[in-house]
Amino acid sequence: MKDLARYCLGGMLALLLIGNVTAQTGLDEHSAHASSDVVRPRPPENATPEERRAFYQKRAAERVKAGGGGDPVAALARTAPGNATLDTAPVKRTQDKSTPAKPEEPARASGRPAGMGMAMRGGGPLWLSDSPPSRGDGAARGGMGGMMGMGGMAMGGERGGAPSKRLWLRAGSDPQKSGFAREDGEAINETLIVRPQGPIEGEALPPPVDGKKNLLFDMPVQGYYRVYASSRKLQGEVLNVSVAKAEISNFGHGGDEEERAQALVAPRVLESAPIEIVREKAPDEKTFFQLKSGDEQAFVVLQKGLPLQGARVRFVSHEGWSKEAVSDEQGRVNFQIIRDYFPPWDDFKKRFKASYLVIAEANAAEQGMFKDMPYSSVRYQTTLSGNYYPSPNDYRSYAWGLGIGLLIVLFCGTAVYLYRRRRLKPFREVRFDER
Amino acid sequence: MSAKPVLDKVRDVVNEVDFNRFRFWFQLVAFVLFVYGGYLAIDLGSKLPFFSCGYNREGRAGVCYLLPLQHQLGRPLAMLFSMASLAILTGFLTFVLWFIVLNKGWCGFVCPLGTLQDWISALRRRMGIRFSNYTQGQFAQLTKIKFVLLALMILIPLGVGGGIFSRDMSPPFCLICPARMILPMFTGDFSQFTVDFSSKTAIFMTALGISITALFLVGSFVKKRFFCFFCPMSALHYLISKPALLKLKKDGSKCTRCGDCYAVCDMEIKEIADDVKTTDIMTDDCTLCLKCVASCPESGALKATFAGIPIFVSTEAGFIKRMNKGCQHGK
Ligand code: SF4
Ligand code: SF4
Ligand code: SF4
Repeated sequence: MKDLARYCLGGMLALLLIGNVTAQTGLDEHSAHASSDVVRPRPPENATPEERRAFYQKRAAERVKAGGGGDPVAALARTAPGNATLDTAPVKRTQDKSTPAKPEEPARASGRPAGMGMAMRGGGPLWLSDSPPSRGDGAARGGMGGMMGMGGMAMGGERGGAPSKRLWLRAGSDPQKSGFAREDGEAINETLIVRPQGPIEGEALPPPVDGKKNLLFDMPVQGYYRVYASSRKLQGEVLNVSVAKAEISNFGHGGDEEERAQALVAPRVLESAPIEIVREKAPDEKTFFQLKSGDEQAFVVLQKGLPLQGARVRFVSHEGWSKEAVSDEQGRVNFQIIRDYFPPWDDFKKRFKASYLVIAEANAAEQGMFKDMPYSSVRYQTTLSGNYYPSPNDYRSYAWGLGIGLLIVLFCGTAVYLYRRRRLKPFREVRFDER
Repeated sequence: MSAKPVLDKVRDVVNEVDFNRFRFWFQLVAFVLFVYGGYLAIDLGSKLPFFSCGYNREGRAGVCYLLPLQHQLGRPLAMLFSMASLAILTGFLTFVLWFIVLNKGWCGFVCPLGTLQDWISALRRRMGIRFSNYTQGQFAQLTKIKFVLLALMILIPLGVGGGIFSRDMSPPFCLICPARMILPMFTGDFSQFTVDFSSKTAIFMTALGISITALFLVGSFVKKRFFCFFCPMSALHYLISKPALLKLKKDGSKCTRCGDCYAVCDMEIKEIADDVKTTDIMTDDCTLCLKCVASCPESGALKATFAGIPIFVSTEAGFIKRMNKGCQHGK
């Protein structure tokens, strides 16, 4: 046993050292992958925030001139026209609450789902994304705060300062392919942010200044930050009201516990919002919750803080598969997050961050005036985006775990037994000749 | 009645206590507290100086310090040398504050993984199977491993933060820590018992973790406190044990070198019997289980002190009482 233990432990150490080597191989893969993401120029490491901003502005301007890299206008033009109705939209409409959207659903036939009939600007619904159009590749990136439901601490802040977060307003109903939302002079736009310890009715968030496309804000305290980008626009006799919402969770290990506890029970609804989608939290959901493929997720559609029945709600996955349902009397809809990440196994990343988009729509026969023009009905549209990750069931194996464990228990057990038996001295009779 | 005889009486009662039973119950309560306390919303923070495993998400009443330490060290290097270093420092200080109260007594009385090893040993004893010992040569070599593991546990996260190692190596010690697999099982969570096939490093680390857990189970069945010998937490304890309040003291002039203490020591620490010069006798492997004090027949030869005040002293009367109760020494 003594020797055995020594050898086993010697082996353990040796394995650990080999582990380092293997890890380095793993790293090579990693950096190879990362580099494909980093071909574009980046600001110098030690640049100040101002320098960085100037750098990115310049780069964005150059890209627009060159017309490459996910050209927003081209992307918009590819999206189905705003008047496609539910009946023509090739998505299966069903109340079945938990069936996943199947790949064979015809939604994919057009390359991406069509708009649900009320696209605000001919470019599909507006939504807030935590990545700009050209980067929506799902690669896990450090330094970004989590969209709602994403675990991990938001660390987008300048070194040592409060974490910050950037959001991009995009148009289109495909999380990967939708481009930047276009400026629309006729619409009335307003952006609100509700901070964990700020006023519950929210505060105005200044729009991005020239050249920049993203909304940037600091997250000094822990909790859920909600951003509402709403826009109102008259089209004929119909007033289109659109609310793009994002919810960002900002929690840190070792942060102030009271702050965290407060944030967890704080309401996540904006009562003044003409329409909004709230991701329903499971009762036992932790602060570092991550949505995984295969999970069921409920969303609630609210109008001025009250449940909205009969809203048409569509869930669009990262790859563009979609699924539709109608909200029940509590405003609820339930979707199962499908698995749509199937890379070659060598390229599989368990931290692959996929985006989903939920779009809810409802019509109301409301009359009123908008910019001195009358309208006879209102179309409400709201979006909420979030992230999900591969399910551990896709890459973790109990059978192997148990197999290896049992094998080693049996092997070591037998080895100890045999070693002890070998060391047993057989009884030897000693006879004395007494004569 | 004056206060003095009362105090003496209390002392006698303590010194003559049925130590093994006291320790068994203490450990049981601590085990239940730290493995199931989370269900009662008990949360003692994440800087605990023993293996209250953070992977036991539902039941844990606090988190072992090695988990946040490795996470903190694994941050990108630029962050590490900014605000984060302050967090590491305050984290470490909190850990030290916890630690100095019981010193390595956290191992001997509180650590759920240590307790589990004692229970596995008890099972072996009941089955009538003998235990194994190391030779002195083996002991001298093996005792260094915990310091190597401690060094790796600090260096690998730094390497991960610096981009040298894959993130699948992090947190390195937790990936090979038997507590990560075993303690969550007590709350019905078997999810750690899986091999992660998402990358080569992940396959290797999870398979290694499972192998070490299997080794732990066999090892602690045939060898008392098998794992504590290699535990990096124990190494870290030893490095900061100077200011601790609970101490193990020896008065060499009263020691007859009978070897009783050595015979009961789960960690096979020979110095406890042989060293008659050192007064602060706690070694790097000691778990401060105080079994040696309970088994010592010489009054005042071994004692546990708290902030300099003797709280448990070896006495002849206590020794005899415990022997008569059938202390199963050395079995
Ligand atoms: S795995 Fe081990 S080292 Fe990591 S938190 Fe759990 S007990 Fe601590
Ligand atoms: S040495 Fe043993 S008792 Fe102490 S922390 Fe490590 S496993 Fe627990
Ligand atoms: S020396 Fe004493 S206190 Fe330390 S482990 Fe051995 S028996 Fe326990």
